[in-house]
Amino acid sequence: MPAVQAWRLPWVRIGPGTRRRHVFAYLSLLPAVVVIGLLTIYPVFYSVDLALHKNVLTQPKQQPFVGGKNFVDVLSNPALHRSLGRTAEFTLMTVGGNAVLGVLIALLLNQRFAGARVLQVLILIPWAIPPVMTGIIWRWIFAGNVGVLNGALYSLGLIDQYYSFFGNPTAAKLTLVVAQLWKNVPLASILLLATLQVIPHELYDAARIDGSGAWAEFRYITLPFLRPTLAVVLILETMVSFVTFDLIFAMTGGGPADATTFIAWYTYNEIFTNLNLGRGAALAFSIAALTLVMAVIYFQALRSESLYTDR
Amino acid sequence: MRVSKTRKVFLYLASGVLAFWIMGPILWIVDASLQLDNELFSIPPHWIPENPTLDNYIFIITRDPPAVYQRAEMGHRPSGDVLAVLPALKNSIIVAGAVTILNLAITVFAANAFSRLRFVGKNTTFGFIMTSRLIPAIAVAIPIFVIIKNLRLLDTYYALILTYLAFTLPFTIWFMTKFFEFMPSELEDAARVDGCTRLQALYKIVIPLAAPGLAASGAFAFMAAYSEFLFAVLLTKTIASRTVPVVLTSVAINDDVSYALASTGVVLAILPPIAFALLFRNYITRGLSMAFGR
Repeated sequence: MPAVQAWRLPWVRIGPGTRRRHVFAYLSLLPAVVVIGLLTIYPVFYSVDLALHKNVLTQPKQQPFVGGKNFVDVLSNPALHRSLGRTAEFTLMTVGGNAVLGVLIALLLNQRFAGARVLQVLILIPWAIPPVMTGIIWRWIFAGNVGVLNGALYSLGLIDQYYSFFGNPTAAKLTLVVAQLWKNVPLASILLLATLQVIPHELYDAARIDGSGAWAEFRYITLPFLRPTLAVVLILETMVSFVTFDLIFAMTGGGPADATTFIAWYTYNEIFTNLNLGRGAALAFSIAALTLVMAVIYFQALRSESLYTDR
Repeated sequence: MRVSKTRKVFLYLASGVLAFWIMGPILWIVDASLQLDNELFSIPPHWIPENPTLDNYIFIITRDPPAVYQRAEMGHRPSGDVLAVLPALKNSIIVAGAVTILNLAITVFAANAFSRLRFVGKNTTFGFIMTSRLIPAIAVAIPIFVIIKNLRLLDTYYALILTYLAFTLPFTIWFMTKFFEFMPSELEDAARVDGCTRLQALYKIVIPLAAPGLAASGAFAFMAAYSEFLFAVLLTKTIASRTVPVVLTSVAINDDVSYALASTGVVLAILPPIAFALLFRNYITRGLSMAFGR
């Protein structure tokens, strides 16, 4: 018997097969719900429980309830604010780079020339490589002693001594941006390319007959079509860049000093270096809440976007 | 329309730059894996190895140090850690493979239910699954560690498989539901009129029709499971279940390890996902456009 009398809910079609249909549906969903519930939803509640108690691994016997104290401690910490600032800066750079490079590459791949097909295949490769390995590869490219980038610059005569990219705060941040872009721009360009391919040619032909130049074509035909996909690309990239962790682990370790300690790394340290589980959980939960809010805002913006483009 | 020569030149130039940007880092890693450390450290680096050698690969595969490595610098104990790459690869492929298969099995049923059936609680459950997609991994790191520990599954394949399932299912279910919605249901309706049960309709009609979507979905799940790092580090302790990202990172961060050897490890480790991506590329690109495109 379904939990609620089916005839009370007007949108559920009642009929002879209702019970069987419900049984089939619930059984179909059971494995998914169990796994996700056990390992994603329940942990969130557990996390809240942890955050509401004082829980330091070096003092396991004392776990008094402290209410919002962990949250207050964590959220008022200026180190957190600085980390958030750095994360925002990084995210802005990668999102911007993603959008610009994604569009440029998509435009290139959309042209008809011999190499286009090959490039379309090649471009999947950075996407396929795990983020950690991207980090490792770029770590070795930027390395101060055997780095290939240093080697190239030296051979070209641009520098006469190998430069330590990871020792300079700004350079270190830029290395992360470059690695992140290398890994994520392919995805953006694939999505943008798919959209470009459905723009009807007649629009361009008509524009050309009317005497428009390439820039006008781009601005008035291409760009409006790309807007919804660009919005999706921006959302995806923001979500991914905000919680960047693997790259930091492999490349900079948060340094030099804390120049590249973005929010996920900051949380990781709070939990595993300071061993303060209560504060770590409060921090992690706050970040999850923040990403949730960002996602909701983005989705709303996306929905109004599609209303605007009349799909 | 005649294409001007300058335009062609520009296109080929741009393509060259793009190809170099994409493949450059990978070609360098392969290049590095074919050299030995003494050559690798030369300033400026040798773009084409003057003494190319397969010794690095031989060492990793046969676990038997070639003559060159008997010398003090190469036989470093830390460099021996790189030998863990092959067992780690085995672990990674087993875990990712299991996650993929389980994913496909579960999403077929779940997506079928969401897209074809009407039942009480449908929207709530769907919302529940979609919201869990937005939860960042770090937020549930400790609780999952505690849960796995209490289930006594630390340092086993099951820990990783379960965790990765929980993280990949929301996306694959969403993806397959969208895909099923694209598929017209007339064939199944006709079959059911002829007396098919829902289950039979599922495996006789729906699954064959949904094969491209399942291929893309499976590819995504495999990539995600193979690449995952945070939980692999948290939940594994010994080489019994350590996956490739963990082993490689510990090797890469340790500056005492032979660069040439470590590069070889990286080359071996990126082969499976690249092979997967190239084999399934049509399904992947079409799947991505369908899922995210407008």
